[in-house]
Amino acid sequence: MFEKRECILQANHLVRQFPAPKKKVLTACNDISLEVYRGKTLGIVGESGCGKSTLVRMLMQLEQPDRGEILFHGKNLAEMTAKEKWLNRQKMQMVFQDPLASFHPKRKVIDILTEPLENYKRLKKGEKEAKAKELLRMVELPEDLLWRYPHSMSGGQRQRIGIARALSLEPEILICDEATSALDVSVQKTVIELLVRLQKEKHISMVFICHDIALIQSFAHQIAVMYLGHVVELLPGEQVGSHGAHPYTQALLQALFSVRDDRRKEIEGLEGEVPSPCDLPKGCPFWSRCRYGTETCREEKPKLKEIAPGHLAACHRL
Amino acid sequence: MLEIRDLTIQYEGQPPVLEHFNLSMKKGEIISIAGESGSGKTTVIRAILGALAGGGKITEGEILFLGESLTEKSPKEWRTLRGTKISMIFQDCGGTLNPIRKIGSQYVEYICTHSRASKQEAWNRAVQMLKKMHLPDGEAVMKSYPHQLSGGMRQRVGIAMAMTFQPRLLLADEPTSALDVTTQARIVRQMMELRRDYQTGIIMVTHNLGVAAYMADKLLIMQNGKVLDQGSTEEVLHNPKSDYTRKLLAAVPEMEGARFV
Repeated sequence: MFEKRECILQANHLVRQFPAPKKKVLTACNDISLEVYRGKTLGIVGESGCGKSTLVRMLMQLEQPDRGEILFHGKNLAEMTAKEKWLNRQKMQMVFQDPLASFHPKRKVIDILTEPLENYKRLKKGEKEAKAKELLRMVELPEDLLWRYPHSMSGGQRQRIGIARALSLEPEILICDEATSALDVSVQKTVIELLVRLQKEKHISMVFICHDIALIQSFAHQIAVMYLGHVVELLPGEQVGSHGAHPYTQALLQALFSVRDDRRKEIEGLEGEVPSPCDLPKGCPFWSRCRYGTETCREEKPKLKEIAPGHLAACHRL
Repeated sequence: MLEIRDLTIQYEGQPPVLEHFNLSMKKGEIISIAGESGSGKTTVIRAILGALAGGGKITEGEILFLGESLTEKSPKEWRTLRGTKISMIFQDCGGTLNPIRKIGSQYVEYICTHSRASKQEAWNRAVQMLKKMHLPDGEAVMKSYPHQLSGGMRQRVGIAMAMTFQPRLLLADEPTSALDVTTQARIVRQMMELRRDYQTGIIMVTHNLGVAAYMADKLLIMQNGKVLDQGSTEEVLHNPKSDYTRKLLAAVPEMEGARFV
C-alpha cells in the first residue's frame, strides 16, 4: 500500500457515449472515477474495446466527457478557456504506441525533439542543439542520432525519442498509451527501467495503459482493471497477483503464460465474447462471461466499493 | 517428417538473413521459434511454404518433407501440397479473408478447390470445422462478413480453414499476438487439441516466450538469422547456452517477478 500523497489529477464519474448506427448509443466509458498522485504510476489494464483509449483522450482534453469532470490541481478542465487549455497541455504529455506514426517522417531527430519547446516559445535561439543533446542523454541515446530520420532507427530508439520529446516540456503527468507493446521483450524491459528512473528523478506521475497485467504490476503503484467501459477493480500494484479479487481480474491472471510455470498447468481463457458496448447489460457488465454469475448479477449493477484499505472492486460476491 | 539441412537464405544483393539453419521434426511435434523482430524466424516458415517474399532465394541447403525435397517443386506440385498437407495460420487471419465476401462463400470455395466435394458437402464440412473450434454458431459465422466478427473469432475461422484437410504440418506465424490475453489462452488450448486429435505437427513462430514455452516440445531461440539455442523446451528454459537467451528469459514480465519500484 502506498501513501496517498498529493492528488494532481482527478477524474470524477466520467461518461463518454458515441452515437452508433440504428439510433443506438455506444458507451465507451461509463462512470469512471480515478485519481493520479504525484510521482506515482496509475496502470490501466483491459482488453481491446474496454474504453482505455477513450479515457486517455478525455484526460488529454482531446475528447470532451458527456458527464463528469476532470480536475487538474482542483481546477475543472472543461471550464478552461482555449488559451488556458493550450498552456495546460505543457503539463500533460503523451507517449504513443507507434512512435513512427507520431513523428514527421521528413524531420530529423533534432527538430522532432525540440518542436514542443519551440511551440511554447521556451527555447532561445542557439540553444536548440544543446537542448536536444541533453534530451538524448536523458534517455540514454548517443548524441549522433541528432541528425538521423525516424525511419533509420530501431523501434526501441524511436520509443526513447518519443519519451524524450514528451518530457522536453517537463510535464507533471506522462500518459503512455501501450507505449511498449510494439517492442521486443528485452527492449521493453529497458524502456520500462528508463521510465521508472525518470519518474524517480523528476517526480513525474504516469498513467500507463497496457494489456499485459504481468508487465504493469511490475512498476505501477495503483492498477485499474477495466471491462466494457467500467472500472471493475482498483488496487495497489503489488497486490494484483495475490489479492486481485474481481472474477475478471482473476481471468486475466489465469490467462497468463509464464516461462517459469509448470507446463501442465491448465491455462484458462474466458468463454464467450465481450458484449457489444452498444447495448450495455443492465446488471454487471461481466455477467455474461462470469463463472459465478447469478440472477442478482444480471439485474443489478454492482457498485465499486472498498473491500480492503485502498482496494476497490465492483462485484456482488465481494 | 520434416528435415531442414543447412538452409541459407539471401535476399538479392544483401547478406544472408538466415544462415545454416537445421531442424528436424517428428510427426505431431510442436516446435516454437522465438526471437526478436528481424531475427529471421518468419523467413524460416515462409521458406518451408515456398513463399519467400520478393527476391528471397534459398542459396544453400535443402528442405525435406515426408522424404521429398521441397526446394525443387514445380508451381503445380506446390498447389497440391499447400492448403492440404501443409497449411498456414497468419498473425491476422482476418486480413487474409476477402472483406466483401461472406465467410461461407470463401470457405466453400477453398474446400472445393482442394477436393471433389460438392458445395453442400463443403458447407457442412465447414460448419463442422467451425464447431470444432468452439465457435458458438457455425451457420451464423458462415453467413457473416469478416468485419462482423471479432478478432478472436476471425482468428478461429482462419485456424478452422487451415485445419480442414487435417494437414500433416501446420505453420503458424504469430497466431495469437494480435489477440487479447483471454482469447489467446483459448486459441492456444484449441491448437493443442488439434494436435491431440489429428497428430498435426506445428511450427510456431512467436515473440511471446510464455506461449512458446507452454506449447512446444522443442524450442529454438534465434537472433540475426542464427540459431542461438535449440533443444527440448525444458533444456532451453533451464539450461540456456547463450547469454542472449538468458537475457531474453530474464526480460519476460512475470507475476511474482522483480518490481521496478
